[in-house]
Amino acid sequence: MASTGAFRERVFSAWVEIRENLGRSTLQALGVMLGVASVLGGFSISDSQRRHSDELFARIGGFEKLNVQPSEAIKDGTQPSALQNANLGLRADDASQGERVDLKAVQGVSVQKFARARVRSPFADQDRQITGIAADYLAVNGYTLDKGRLFSSRDLETAAPVCVLGYEAVSVFFPTGEALNQVIRVGDIPVTVVGVLREKVFRFRESQGNVFAWRNKLVALPATLVAQRMEGDAYHRLDRVVFKIPDINVIEKFSESLSAVLKSSHRQQEDFRIDDIAKRVKKRRSQGDVYNMIFMLSGILSLVGGGMVNVNIQLATLKERVREVGVKMAIGASGREVFKEFMTEALLLTGLGGFVGFFIGVAFSKVITTVLEVPLYMDPKSFVWAFLLALVFGFLFAIYPALKASRLSPMEALRYE
Amino acid sequence: MSRIIETRGLTKVFGANGNAVHALRGIDMAVEKGEFVALIGPSGSGKSTLMAILGCLDSPTDGRYALDGQAVEGLSGGALARIRNEKVGFVFQSYNLLPKASILRNVELPLLYAGVSRRERRRRAMEMLEKVGIPEKAHVLPAQLSGGQRQRVAIARALANRPALLLADEPTGALDSKTGAEVLGLFKELHRQGNAVMLVTHDPHIAAMAERKVELCDGLILGPDAAAA
Repeated sequence: MASTGAFRERVFSAWVEIRENLGRSTLQALGVMLGVASVLGGFSISDSQRRHSDELFARIGGFEKLNVQPSEAIKDGTQPSALQNANLGLRADDASQGERVDLKAVQGVSVQKFARARVRSPFADQDRQITGIAADYLAVNGYTLDKGRLFSSRDLETAAPVCVLGYEAVSVFFPTGEALNQVIRVGDIPVTVVGVLREKVFRFRESQGNVFAWRNKLVALPATLVAQRMEGDAYHRLDRVVFKIPDINVIEKFSESLSAVLKSSHRQQEDFRIDDIAKRVKKRRSQGDVYNMIFMLSGILSLVGGGMVNVNIQLATLKERVREVGVKMAIGASGREVFKEFMTEALLLTGLGGFVGFFIGVAFSKVITTVLEVPLYMDPKSFVWAFLLALVFGFLFAIYPALKASRLSPMEALRYE
Repeated sequence: MSRIIETRGLTKVFGANGNAVHALRGIDMAVEKGEFVALIGPSGSGKSTLMAILGCLDSPTDGRYALDGQAVEGLSGGALARIRNEKVGFVFQSYNLLPKASILRNVELPLLYAGVSRRERRRRAMEMLEKVGIPEKAHVLPAQLSGGQRQRVAIARALANRPALLLADEPTGALDSKTGAEVLGLFKELHRQGNAVMLVTHDPHIAAMAERKVELCDGLILGPDAAAA
């Protein structure tokens, strides 16, 4: 077959036919073009948007955190039971127990204990939120040290009177410069500034404000210090424990085991709340899938619409070409050969239309994502999908006219005027 | 001598029941290899129908037909296409060239359907164009040729697969008398070279060039040839 070049000849004749009837062919290919453009464009826009928001999400906090906060186990209007009263709330123990649930998955544990206090320096006197921290708080929350040092484990164990200041806090309490090794008063406690943090900046767009402005206000003390000398009780309750788990796929399972472990050490009371960010992320992703389905559907609809137009045009032009088919049959073309010739032409047209559709789709996505100020991301899978759909529909809609042509009677076709 | 055409009791009925038209009412005829036969008769006599059946473009309603020794009744569409391709060369009154293909491609087409290799196709198509005297027109489109030249191309195409039978339906009908005579001369030459030619015409002068005349009237063969088989 290959040696006779029959396929090449068919493609060549099909190309001649398309070229000679450029207007008609363009019209025929329009459906494919729009279908491909719509599937490709839709997928790309949705993928770009999703990737962009994933990136933003990762940068402002990330999916990789699992928050645990204390919550009231008591329903409104009921009296707390003895068991509930006896509970100890969220404690440092919970953090270390949680970490032991899956040492491999947990890349960091951050512990927080909040308080409010007056903070006084030689330059300022303000009411401030104080964050008592332990373990990997600064690393988990993406702070980087500018000067000085972070808390040592000894600081944390001994509740040493030391503090680390965020960028904004430094500029308020020490506007003239060196904050390091100066003493500020937090409530009644004099603490030494041992570390100064770098500014955290993140803007969704250049024109917008810094999303992380609040993070720069950090006044961090060892959690033990806050618990013992400010807001404390005998049990060193915590306000928040955050586990850093980079592998999003294990978060759900970890969350379940963590819940069970905590419940058992909390006398079967669910006096804590686990905020599973992964669940939210999955939900968001499945919403993205819905958009993709919608885009694919609209692509399929335009392919179907275009396909029907195509069939119509094919059948109309078949009338003009009946005689040509008759001649070919008279000199020896079988019905199968005629079928192949018509299919070749239709599929070549689909291929060309799809090719143009790629460009339209890319241009379309580029324009929309530029308007949305989202970086364009095109998944190779979108191209494959668009092309497969075009091919399937091109094939399906080519069959009927090609069959019709191949079943002409040679005698009647020759006599056709 | 073996017979290129042998029919027995060929009938062809168009339509059904009340308004059936009996185009052929029982044709018995035989054509020997290398014969030059003219099929004549007034319009409506069944000439074209008979030619279509002889050329395997159409099937008879009843009767038997063997082409070059092969019975064709009941053959599939694909098998008939192969017979048309290999054993029959058609020449039509209106040339029936493919307008968008070059002369060379037109002549190559039957060879392509026969599965002949590209190189061989080209060689044989050129050879045929030389035979009909217009090799220099190989790369032009049919629209750029005169009527006589187009008919020569059609003849070259009909000859490309070296068919057992050349069927020509009013081949000079669209030509002026001078070019018509040239084309007829070509047929005579082809006959002299050993090709079996069947010429359908209503012109007795043209029919006179043939070795033998078969006259058709109302779907039946008239005269002495009726008993030829």
